[in-house]
Amino acid sequence: MMAEFELDCLGEVCPVPLVKAQKKIASMAVGDVLTVHIDHSCAMKNIPDWARKEGYNVEVEEVDDGEWDLIIEKNK
Amino acid sequence: MEKKVEQYDVVIIGGGAAGLTAGIYCGRARLKTLIIEKALVGGLATYTNEIENYPGFPEGNSGIGLMELFHKQAKKFGVQFKLTDVKSVSLEGDVKAVETFRNRYECKVVILASGGKPRLTGAKNEEKYLYDKGISFCATCDAAANTGKTVMVIGSGDAAIEEGMFLTKFANKVIVSVMHDEGIMDCNEIAKNEAMQNPKMEFVWNTTVDEFRGDDEHLKSVALKNVKTGEIADIPVDTCFIFIGYLPNTELFKGMVDMNRGGYLITNEKMETKIPGVFAAGDVRDKFLKQVATAVGDGAIAGYSAEKYIAESAVFQNQIMSGDKPGIVYVWNAVDPVCRELLPVIEQFEEKHAEDVKVTKADIYKSEGIANRLGVSETPCVVCVKCGKVIKCVTGPLTVETIEKLVEC
Repeated sequence: MMAEFELDCLGEVCPVPLVKAQKKIASMAVGDVLTVHIDHSCAMKNIPDWARKEGYNVEVEEVDDGEWDLIIEKNK
Repeated sequence: MEKKVEQYDVVIIGGGAAGLTAGIYCGRARLKTLIIEKALVGGLATYTNEIENYPGFPEGNSGIGLMELFHKQAKKFGVQFKLTDVKSVSLEGDVKAVETFRNRYECKVVILASGGKPRLTGAKNEEKYLYDKGISFCATCDAAANTGKTVMVIGSGDAAIEEGMFLTKFANKVIVSVMHDEGIMDCNEIAKNEAMQNPKMEFVWNTTVDEFRGDDEHLKSVALKNVKTGEIADIPVDTCFIFIGYLPNTELFKGMVDMNRGGYLITNEKMETKIPGVFAAGDVRDKFLKQVATAVGDGAIAGYSAEKYIAESAVFQNQIMSGDKPGIVYVWNAVDPVCRELLPVIEQFEEKHAEDVKVTKADIYKSEGIANRLGVSETPCVVCVKCGKVIKCVTGPLTVETIEKLVEC
């Protein structure tokens, strides 16, 4: 059974969101989904870049001007 | 994970210049439109530092800057964006579907604007040094950074040689790896002669890349392999430019949409593929010139075609194929005198049977869409529709009586 997790990284600057996301994903099981809330635009690039390189499914959703949700599925 | 289903009029795959322009046209036509982009909105143009030949910007603009304006304009017209990969598509039928890992988007029209990517050599360590780490695909972008340096160019086509010559204005030495025998290149003769006479250009014949070498930070040298002798030569360079062609992003559409040998999608001038309601625009199409300016043209046509297709679908379903009364459709061509002469006959019939038969006229001079849906290729033609089905059609000389017979049968 897959679980969903959330990470609130609003107000945090790079590379903090990336490091937090990496740690969180490492603790999750295959099939679990992580949503990271960010508002630092550089995290919108480095987190998806890293996650795609790992082979995970990634989606970026613009929640508001300058605020995004990154949805990462640990699919392997 | 259960996929969330959402409905749209138009889903555009790819958020580059073509997709964004198609989005602007669809959004402005008040169609509910979604653009799905897997990386950065703006597409390949965002990899270019300076865009000097896009009209309207005499001072030039950065690729990212120009694409941000496109993005802003699309948003202004209510276009929605999803930044993720498309996993699969289903293109046949009236309801099409585009799936991402979390959603299933159902729509009436799909516009394929997925663009292309530079072809790679496949040599060892290539992935490690891509883009800012020493392997570049854009001389215009990275030439200035190589002022006074030694660079390598892989390939001998028009792009490779012309970009190579451009690089000689900045770099001290441009080494070109050509896989053919000495003196043979894939580019045009004029470029070849100019390049051979350029003192800053040096050619290494019969070679392909064996390995990219360097440290964790940056590329240091390229190991070229002689295809005849197998000999490896390690050549120190600051940057390596690869110009061995482009690959369209069309793997997902294989076996569904017509492609040429290189995998580019084939469309007509209305950007229509062979599948009704599926259009293609931009670099993903088989076409002569791939530029932001031409992508914009494609996108505008695809967006307009999408709107026409949706409007026609509505007429077809709501007016022609539905209702309790039997219907006839007069398929005609307004510029054909024979068709025009028959018009009064149709109008007489319409007057006589105003109560019991629904009459529609479809002028193929304006658009062939309705005729195609009815399976009619000849004009003039009268088609009889009952209970949402095409019953019969007749061509040639018509009278009120023959049409009555058609409806009665």
